Amino acid sequence: MTRTDLKTATFIAYKTITNGHKSTIALIVFILSLSFFNLMFVSGFLNGFSDGITESMIDNSTAHIIVMPQEEPTKKNFILEQARVRAEIQTIPGVEASTRHYQIGGSFAYDVEKNGKYNYVSAPIIGVNQAEEKKVLFVQKNMVSGEFPDNLRDDEIVMSANLTGGFGTSQTTDLGGAIVGSQVQVVYSNGIMRTYTIRGVFKITMGSVSNTAFISASEAESVLSTYDNASEILVRVDLTQNTLDGYADRMAKMFPTLRIEKYTARLSSVGILVDAFNIIAIIVSVISIIVAAITIFVMIYVNAVSKRRQIGILKAIGIKESIIEVSYIFQSIFYAILGIIGGSIIIFLIVIPFLAVKQIPMPFGSARLVYTSFGIFINIISLIIAGVLAGFIPAKIVANEDILKSIWG
Amino acid sequence: MIKVKNLVKTYPGHVPTLALKGVTLDIAEGEFVALMGRSGSGKSTLLHQLGLLDMPTSGSIIINKTDVLSLSEAKRTKFRLQNLGYVFQEYALIAEFTALENVSFPAMAFGDSNSKDRAAHLLDLVGLSDRVNHYPKEMSGGEQQRVAIARSLINNPKVLFADEPTANLDTVSTEVILKLFRKLNKDLKQTILVVTHEPEDKKYVDRVIWLKDGIITHP
Repeated sequence: MTRTDLKTATFIAYKTITNGHKSTIALIVFILSLSFFNLMFVSGFLNGFSDGITESMIDNSTAHIIVMPQEEPTKKNFILEQARVRAEIQTIPGVEASTRHYQIGGSFAYDVEKNGKYNYVSAPIIGVNQAEEKKVLFVQKNMVSGEFPDNLRDDEIVMSANLTGGFGTSQTTDLGGAIVGSQVQVVYSNGIMRTYTIRGVFKITMGSVSNTAFISASEAESVLSTYDNASEILVRVDLTQNTLDGYADRMAKMFPTLRIEKYTARLSSVGILVDAFNIIAIIVSVISIIVAAITIFVMIYVNAVSKRRQIGILKAIGIKESIIEVSYIFQSIFYAILGIIGGSIIIFLIVIPFLAVKQIPMPFGSARLVYTSFGIFINIISLIIAGVLAGFIPAKIVANEDILKSIWG
Repeated sequence: MIKVKNLVKTYPGHVPTLALKGVTLDIAEGEFVALMGRSGSGKSTLLHQLGLLDMPTSGSIIINKTDVLSLSEAKRTKFRLQNLGYVFQEYALIAEFTALENVSFPAMAFGDSNSKDRAAHLLDLVGLSDRVNHYPKEMSGGEQQRVAIARSLINNPKVLFADEPTANLDTVSTEVILKLFRKLNKDLKQTILVVTHEPEDKKYVDRVIWLKDGIITHP
């Protein structure tokens, strides 16, 4: 294809578009805008779902990196001298904050009717220093009743709504409706028994924290008869300064006896969900591209068939088939670009602002559309490639026809 | 200029139709020839073969010393663009192009950077200098046919083929077109082969080739 051929093909495409039926062009662009919107919306929504789940896990359950006690050669229950360990971790550039957890198993009992009939539920109980904890995890942002104060007293507890019951939860076992101010009895796995007053109730539906209760770190040390240790240390990092692997490797070198785990390893069943959504996003995107390609194919085919006579005339006066085919490809690309612009306007100027105003509640927060530059680029390129193929094939079919048959039918 | 030997064209089908039964003819350079005959005699079929719009079943066609039937599809297309002009009965203009664009387009496809000036000159030659920016739907049938003639001349073809160019025109327009062909033949020495079924058109041409049932009766 020479420069003259390209110029000729461009001229045919330009004249066909500018002198074509405006309503037909508007319909083609409208349908392609919807196709691109569909492509962008579904992938963006599923990406938002995956991102929301992951973000919820990081913010409420795991932070970015989890430091755990030594397992080899001897398994230990605690990280010793946690203050020193955390101080060293803080020296790593990009580490934003860390918090330590004591984890204890416990069985809760609550007499909701005050008639001696107790409701029981077992759950992990985490001892935290909330003043430090809130720099790493954001459970306090999910309170549905009461509060999660920095100075949680040793006789107070903050519980998940899944454990207390009520607040719209639907667990098969819970305490039947314990509220802020209620007193619950706890029997720890080491046999120690305590009574706590509920100071706050939070509602988180994703991750292990959804079935957890929090007590103060000093109370946990009292129960466990230990001091300055930790069951785990959670670390929040700045991922713009280093990669997750980079931080984890640095910590692993710093503490060769401790077990370092990234949040991705804790996603487990949620990770499967995220993977599933990512796969669904790809499948839906491919289907959207195919639908868009078929739409362009039909539009261009109908357009080309209605211009069979013109194509025959072009061939009769000596215009190469390839020039005619390329002219239709140019038209397809033009329609695809207008569709991309139209779809982008719907997404970025209508749907995203609408979702910001009218939030749709999801298990991890509000529904949102999440895009990466690469993802948008792939969607745009996909639609343009679909346009090229879907424009070329019908043009090839019609341009291949016998000249006289094209002109006289 | 044109040497046709034993040209046969059979249209396949349940009952194959033998449209040309071995046509042999010569047309000299600068000659203005009319191809006449009754409806169904094979005039248009012969013109389609000569204009390379269709492929004969057998025989040979030499145009300007080129055995055109031995050319590949791509080379035939190029040959058509460079050497042949074709005027259809129903004008066959591109509806989206103006008169000037219709005329200049084959030259543009040929890579002629001066195509618009030459197209304007040709439109002036056919008496349409005031219609250059009009679209086909804004012109009469006679005007459209003159645009088609101007288009057929844009690449200085060796031969101009015209397939019943006046069939859809009124008497006045018909006379204008045929006089135009005569003028082009005289002034530009343009070789022209025109298909017509009007006996009175004979007065404009140098020679008439009569065709009957796919065979030349008066070469």
